[in-house]
Amino acid sequence: MRSKADNNDSAGAFAIDRRELDARTSAIAVTGELDLTTAPQLKWMLVDAIEEGRSRLVVDLSATSFMDSTALGVLVGVNRGLEPGGQLLIVCSRPSLLRIFELSGMDGAFTICATLDDALAGPAQRAAEAS
Amino acid sequence: MTGRSRGRSRRGRAFRRLALVALAACALALAFIPSATAKRDREKAAGGSTATTTTAAASPPSTTASTGAPQASAPSAATTTSAPAATHKHDGGGSERSAGGTAGAGKGGSSAGKGGSSASKAEGQGGAGASGTGDGGSHGHAGAGRRGATHAGGAGKGAGAQGAPEATEEASAGGEEQATAETQAVRGAGHGQGSGRKTSKGHHKEGASEGARAHESGKHGKTKAEEKAEQEKTEREGEQPAGSGQGGGSTTPALGSTPPAEALAPVASAASATPGATSPGPVASTLPGAGLATPARAAHRARPARRSARRHRAGRPAAVGARAAAGVGLAPPGTLDRGAGAGAARTPRASRGHRSSDGPASRIVTTITRIVDVVPAAARILIGVLLALALALAARSLLSGLRTRRLERQRRELLADVGLLQAALLPEPPARLGPVGTSVAYSPAEGPGAGGDFYDVFALEDGLLAVIVGDVSGHGRQALPHTALVRFTLRAYLEAGLAPRDALQTAGAVLERQLGGVFATVVVATYEPRERVLTYASAGHPPPLVLGGPGDAGTLSPVTICGAPPIGTGMRTGTRQTTVALPGRARVCFYTDGVTEARIDGELFGSARLTEVLAELPPEAGAAELLERVAAYAEARPDDMAACVLSVEGGDEAPRVLVEELEIDREEATSMRTESFLRACGVERGGIAEVTGSAFGAAGRAGTVVLEVRDDGGTPEVSLRRDHVSYLHARRAEVGVAR
Repeated sequence: MRSKADNNDSAGAFAIDRRELDARTSAIAVTGELDLTTAPQLKWMLVDAIEEGRSRLVVDLSATSFMDSTALGVLVGVNRGLEPGGQLLIVCSRPSLLRIFELSGMDGAFTICATLDDALAGPAQRAAEAS
Repeated sequence: MTGRSRGRSRRGRAFRRLALVALAACALALAFIPSATAKRDREKAAGGSTATTTTAAASPPSTTASTGAPQASAPSAATTTSAPAATHKHDGGGSERSAGGTAGAGKGGSSAGKGGSSASKAEGQGGAGASGTGDGGSHGHAGAGRRGATHAGGAGKGAGAQGAPEATEEASAGGEEQATAETQAVRGAGHGQGSGRKTSKGHHKEGASEGARAHESGKHGKTKAEEKAEQEKTEREGEQPAGSGQGGGSTTPALGSTPPAEALAPVASAASATPGATSPGPVASTLPGAGLATPARAAHRARPARRSARRHRAGRPAAVGARAAAGVGLAPPGTLDRGAGAGAARTPRASRGHRSSDGPASRIVTTITRIVDVVPAAARILIGVLLALALALAARSLLSGLRTRRLERQRRELLADVGLLQAALLPEPPARLGPVGTSVAYSPAEGPGAGGDFYDVFALEDGLLAVIVGDVSGHGRQALPHTALVRFTLRAYLEAGLAPRDALQTAGAVLERQLGGVFATVVVATYEPRERVLTYASAGHPPPLVLGGPGDAGTLSPVTICGAPPIGTGMRTGTRQTTVALPGRARVCFYTDGVTEARIDGELFGSARLTEVLAELPPEAGAAELLERVAAYAEARPDDMAACVLSVEGGDEAPRVLVEELEIDREEATSMRTESFLRACGVERGGIAEVTGSAFGAAGRAGTVVLEVRDDGGTPEVSLRRDHVSYLHARRAEVGVAR
């Protein structure tokens, strides 16, 4: 699954997959392009997870080849709609996507981790790793 | 959409209702036709009810007045008949004598009608009225059957007119005109008079009432006569050829076409001065004139005249007399035109006392009635339904025609409005603003992504130039109000003198409440032509591409780390600003992400390709050419593309970044982001900790501090300053005071 992540040919095939990691954590993995047509699916999956009581949401963009401003808007909207104590983590290591986050100025708004494990490790551990 | 279909169904219901009503109306009409005719027939048989009598007789006198008018000598006779009626009506009922006169008029009319009929019958009898008509017909001018018929009617009335004066035996005021009277006409007049006399005897009372009615309808004789005379004058002028034709070979043609002006005067005078004053002479001359002058008008009245004739069968002798007179000098039957023939066909029956023969119209009605009588009920209903359908369809086609016109008009208006709105949202700047060449272009997306991009280029005070290029999240129509809101808000702050970053920060705080979850990425820039300095601030938007004059002079690569978030995300924006020196020839390209997100070979077009395309553009080319080329390369354009290109003239010096600014709060001061920013700006690793430490202290607990990294070619110089956007903070301060 992860092997496909860096393959540009997989861009056309969009897939979205949700896994329950624990009682409060949902991990949503997106494969392919997140754009005007596919971003709403991500939105509804995130909204469903929130409604089901998940407070820690991990969006795994490792296999995502592209995302546009619509997808960014979805992430921004969900991030703003989180209840106190809620958390939106983004897993992304692809430079093109990181560039999008940077140019949009949203890299400061989200917690962006290189891997899913990093994201699940918690802030303290992340800080320790970073230093 | 739903509204439209609802409207359509409503219209459909209305249409069905209309059809139903029409159907019902037709069915009712069909059901009533037979009974109505039967009733009328009964009435006729009974000698005429007052209602019918009045209508029948009412017209003839007035007609005579009108018909007489055009004729030189006619007026006296004509008006006389009507005038007395008028006077007596006003007098309160009318004296016997004048009543008799009017009665005579009415009767005369009827008998003349008969005369006309006999003429067409070509029984060889003479009659002035008849001959007048007959001639008209035979001389072929009429051609149109209707006209011929009218003449006949007119003639009949003329006769009626004569009849009246005769009966009253009063002197005529229009004696002079007698001279012009035609022999034939005179002869006919004699007959007409005779008949009139006879009838008048028999129908004194009725005549009176008729006369009265005649005037009831005509208000008063004088005015009416005048009016009519005038009307006829005009009418007759139009009818000239017919008039002369009707005149026949005799002197009448001259008469028939005698100037109406002459005719008018007598009419008026006769009407006003001597009511009822007539002599046979003028009367005689009336005949042809009457017939000729006002065919159309006469036609109307001819029928009532005939009707009255029909009713008063006692007046048959008169009719016979008239008929006899009509025969005199009549044109051969064969030469009679259709109209005359029709009149003939009609009238004989009247003289024979046929109840139902009422002229062409009544004949048709009778025929229809007879047909309807034998039509089975089912067929009647079917016909009714078909009629209703025809009516409904006609109404519908009329309505749809009207609707089509209305829609076309609305479409034109809408297109004009759309043009205005588009111009308001995407303005076309002048080709040059001061020393800077400006160009903008917009290319809507292929598909649902269209809408949301906006731009503006305008001049500020002191020769400054401002650029706004942005993109509102969301697409289509919903995005339009937001694009306008963001653009005009930013423009207002720039016009107010705020720097791009300050404008963004202020607008961000203000628009946050108004965008309602929608966010906007935007880049705001000002260019100062004297210093050749470009200052821009971005809120989540790609920075402009800045290219030096020669292709290899280098492309500016400003620091994009720590970019400010878009407006409307709930985060403080307007925290970054870049100042660029453009010493030489340069091109600055602002664009929306639709340009770099266009697809080429399955990949994003990207800013690198865009830079290439921009560098390849000829010097005179602008944003439109740029987008055209991108579109030519790209195989898909999922989002709107907007671009704004500024062209600055100069030498070959390459552009360079002068200042990078970042506003941070206390928490951000020690973040990795800030560290990355400083590193990207070229600040040495050793200096970074010092800078962030001082920033942490300077920002204070709730405040912010601006890191300004100035690059003069050597080591970057970092300074901290506390400058707040005055507008935003002033507002906050005011609120604090109020509390």
